[in-house]
Amino acid sequence: MTTPPDTNRALDIAPVGARTHWEVGGPPVAGATEVRAPVGVLAYEPADMTITVGAGTTFDELDRVLAEQGQQCALDPRSRAATVGGILACGLSGPRRLRHGPVRDHVLEVRFETGDGRLVKGGGPTVKNVTGYDLPRLFVGSLGTIGVLHQATLRCRPRPVRSQWFTGVDTARAFRPAARLWDGRREAVLLEGVDVDVEAEGRGLAALAAPPRFPDGPHRGRISVAPGAVRACAAALTRTPSESASAPGEVRWCAELGVGTIHVAADDAAALARARSVAHAHGGWMLREAGGSAADDGYGCALPNAALMRRVKDAFDPAGKLNRGRLPLGAVHA
Amino acid sequence: MTDLRACVGEGRASDEPLELALYARDAGVAVGRADAVCFPGSGAEIAAAVRVARRHGRPFVARGSGTGLAGGSTPLGDPVVIVTTQMNRVLEVDAQTCVAWVEPGVLNLDLSREVAPLGLHYAPDPSSQQACTIGGNVGTNAGGPHCLSEGVTSAHILAVDVVLPDGTEARLGSLAPDAPGYDLRGCFVGSEGTMGIATRIAVRLTPDPPCVATILCAFDSVEAAAATVSGVIAAGVLPAALEMMDARITQAVEDFVGAGYPRDAQAVLLVEVDGLEGGVATQVDAISSVARTNGATLVRVAADDAERALLWKGRKSAFGAIARIAPDYYLHDAVVPRTKLVDVLRRVYEIADAHELIVMNVFHAGDGNLHPLLVFDRREPGIWDRVYAAGTEILDACLDAGGVLTGEHGVGIEKRDLMARMFSVDDLDAQARLRDAFDPDGAANPQKVLPSGSRCGELQRVPDGTWI
Amino acid sequence: MSGPLHLDPDTLNACVSCGLCLPHCPTYRVTGREIASPRGRIAAMRAVETGAVPIDTEFRAAMEECVSCRGCEAACPSGVQFGSLMEGTRAALPAPPSRLRRWAEWLGYRVVLPHHRLLLATTWFAWLGQKLRLVPARFGLPRLSARSMFRPLAVPVGGTPDAWLFTGCVMDAWLRDTHRSAARVMAATGTAVSRPPSSAACCGALHLHAGREEEARSLARRVIASMPGDAPVVVDSAGCGLAMKEYGVLLDTPAARAFSARVADFSEWLVRRPLPKMRATGVRVVVQDPCHLRHVQKVHGAVRNVLAPAYELVETADDGLCCGAGGAYSVLQPELSQRILARKLDALRSAAGRVDPIVASANPGCMVQLRGAGIDARHPADLIAEVLDG
Repeated sequence: MTTPPDTNRALDIAPVGARTHWEVGGPPVAGATEVRAPVGVLAYEPADMTITVGAGTTFDELDRVLAEQGQQCALDPRSRAATVGGILACGLSGPRRLRHGPVRDHVLEVRFETGDGRLVKGGGPTVKNVTGYDLPRLFVGSLGTIGVLHQATLRCRPRPVRSQWFTGVDTARAFRPAARLWDGRREAVLLEGVDVDVEAEGRGLAALAAPPRFPDGPHRGRISVAPGAVRACAAALTRTPSESASAPGEVRWCAELGVGTIHVAADDAAALARARSVAHAHGGWMLREAGGSAADDGYGCALPNAALMRRVKDAFDPAGKLNRGRLPLGAVHA
Repeated sequence: MTDLRACVGEGRASDEPLELALYARDAGVAVGRADAVCFPGSGAEIAAAVRVARRHGRPFVARGSGTGLAGGSTPLGDPVVIVTTQMNRVLEVDAQTCVAWVEPGVLNLDLSREVAPLGLHYAPDPSSQQACTIGGNVGTNAGGPHCLSEGVTSAHILAVDVVLPDGTEARLGSLAPDAPGYDLRGCFVGSEGTMGIATRIAVRLTPDPPCVATILCAFDSVEAAAATVSGVIAAGVLPAALEMMDARITQAVEDFVGAGYPRDAQAVLLVEVDGLEGGVATQVDAISSVARTNGATLVRVAADDAERALLWKGRKSAFGAIARIAPDYYLHDAVVPRTKLVDVLRRVYEIADAHELIVMNVFHAGDGNLHPLLVFDRREPGIWDRVYAAGTEILDACLDAGGVLTGEHGVGIEKRDLMARMFSVDDLDAQARLRDAFDPDGAANPQKVLPSGSRCGELQRVPDGTWI
Repeated sequence: MSGPLHLDPDTLNACVSCGLCLPHCPTYRVTGREIASPRGRIAAMRAVETGAVPIDTEFRAAMEECVSCRGCEAACPSGVQFGSLMEGTRAALPAPPSRLRRWAEWLGYRVVLPHHRLLLATTWFAWLGQKLRLVPARFGLPRLSARSMFRPLAVPVGGTPDAWLFTGCVMDAWLRDTHRSAARVMAATGTAVSRPPSSAACCGALHLHAGREEEARSLARRVIASMPGDAPVVVDSAGCGLAMKEYGVLLDTPAARAFSARVADFSEWLVRRPLPKMRATGVRVVVQDPCHLRHVQKVHGAVRNVLAPAYELVETADDGLCCGAGGAYSVLQPELSQRILARKLDALRSAAGRVDPIVASANPGCMVQLRGAGIDARHPADLIAEVLDG
């Protein structure tokens, strides 16, 4: 396939939802035409445990509709104002992925518009489907660079009867907890299920009144390392007292044990850059979520299989119009 | 051949007519023709074999145990068949992070057995799990009864080392969550060998549940059983597995295994719930009560592991046991929304009656994943046309109900030409472009998954000597 | 319509190519090749029957590589009668091209096996060879004991016993001590035991596996005639026991069917009796199921029941896969047989948690194969005889 001639910069397109994920991977180029997706629940059959929503629907709305039927979809974005389109495009999973799986495992069907203006459907509306290539998984985490999502069908689950955070020294012993977090001072574990099980599993642990919070700040990122390396990597983020005062500022962090994600926040871009280098030193990387320095886009590392990814990008967005600036691949068309 | 032998070793490549004939098909119906077959022992040898094939202008087809039912590893276009069965080692197991690296030829059940002493298992459990390979499971994104709560293969594959169609090697995905950039791992899983060959696979292992209960429910009608399925889900219970068998299957299986299924039932449900004790007890109560409300004639909870194993053995032997009542069968695989099960099942029986065929149903009811089996005797003149017509009508009925063409067997060659019934021209074009991004020359498992311009006759016209 | 192999088309077509047999086939497990699998062999038979491929050396080799363990039959959900297809195919194969091999087969199947004195004489030569270190260990010949061979089996011949103990050919020559154990254990249950005269020297199982059906029938008739009456026929060789249980099918006469109904494996017979008193030893024993006991006779449970009072039994994790002995297989296909054996040894050792496990095996072929690899393999009769109280 040949790449069509580069088009007018005025044709840059940036899908926009609630702007809660606006800077993930780096902000889109200035002057891009912003497009919005439909809003609202299009189909919901509780007995099928599937729901189809417009991509502009907020997670808050989605969760409210599902809760009425005792169901949930464990996307768990940082902000409930986030739209389904934004959550899927960025592919940022919530802490309950430990038990419920990452965002990509909740998506059954997607309909999106490609860079060359075709409305494409991928996947299927049923809970199980292997018909054709897995476009839903390709879309999740593509940062809006292969298409603008119109609607998605999501898989739902029964809402747990009881959901309780605990803290204690021995959180690893719980059977398949929903989430496990560690911020350097204490471990927290989220237990879900019927009352007797949650109480039995929580024995010896202390119940928490409120769920732990992820660190916040003007500069934020998300580190990924192999689950076996998460403690070492997180510990390395904490500055030792011996470091000089002129070193970059403090990095606040919270690690998802068993997953390998570490949420980091800092007050200055240099501290975030240091977090990124710690991630690299532990065989991982850091996706920039907010702030950071302009020179420090995306994952801050060479993308693996970049040539293949570029061909995938070209297959859906031959002119390179979609969300330039969000993924380092965009550089090819710059 | 000389080049092929040079890269995989003497005695591990063959072009003997007898051996090639045995690789002309898998467990599906379509028959192709292999040009050569080889048995590499490492990822490097697979890469070398792919490069040899490409250098000689040949396509290549990856194959594991050949238990696929959609003809996914049927060799078309005179390819080199690359068989992964000699790469059958579990390379690394990390019990702490529940990850294992395996070679593609490891058998699904062998992996679960190997990690069993650690209190772990590999969750996707296709009915052929004793024989099928993890590599093949990755190719088809295989399912199985326990995928209802745990998800299909793709949810259990963290990373795959692959040989791409141009013969280069790459790692897709990572042990760390969310590999940078596009989810190429997600694209590769379920691509049915059209995007390359897996040489090393990182799978997620699942802790064994502390408590498991298996419930057998019998009903006087298929409708009552199907209504129970919807009722269980509506009651907020997501079982680990929820399987259904109709009267004919139940009897056939009972004759074979003696699993203790009631022979006079019109439909049988096999429901499994697992997890912590309290949750299991609550779910058993909820399921029993829904079943009784729907007029179950029997609700029995397996007393021990032996009875559980026997109940499952019956379910997993279903397809083979059919051969005891009819010489031939044709097995379909479609998914409908769970709420449409009753309507679609009624339609399936009507279609079979209209074509004067016998249909049996055994399937993953909790997923809405139907497996209608049309049984027949191929010696009857014109029978295959009727079977094919009925099969197509059944699939149409599933699509009309908002369903999909295949839930776990894959498209392969069997459903390739039906893809346009589910996808628009633009949808298929997008998929073709994605495939081209991986394999611009169409060298990896050609003529599969996506329809070509001309409709081929592999399915309507079964070559002589083909068996179904 | 049947082709050059004269196989029953319905039996041949019962295979739906599902592949569930593959992991249960020892040769497939070690080669990973379709041509060494039950499904592949059936496909090859079909290809020959339809004329798609000729009966050539490739085809013959593929058929001869099968151990005939019939593990696939037990695993097949469609109930394909693989054993009968394989016997039929081997019977239809033309004589082997090699003159030496034809001569060796004639000598073995026609002369030595059916004539017990010749077999014993041959065995004395083999003993001499062993003493003079002329027989390489890889031949898998068990360590022969002159003392055991010199002493006849102290069991009366003929008469009207409570139960017959079938002694057979190779086993009587090489493993006569096991017969002694079996007789002791049977007597300990208060049973009057007799053995057949030497006319019933060989059950014909090896002949049948080799496709020599006529010779097998003739031997079967001799065996049936040698043990008149309706007393049970106890067999302490799983391979012989199966062949004798299938005389009814082989000869297809009422007398043969009646005889087959009397045949029981040693453990199968014993478990139906009040078990003799045994000392509990606590010794760990790995149970190795002979294929023909497990996959076809399906009485391997009895072995566990009769040993359980005296031993701590452990199981292998290999679904009862073959050990590679397969009657004459270990001699005819030494390379494959050794690879299959290696897998089995791994399974036995990891089950026992030690490198030198004690293994219970109810078949002489398996015992010889395992002992050849240095494993302490004993027949359940031997294990029980050791712990008889009083």
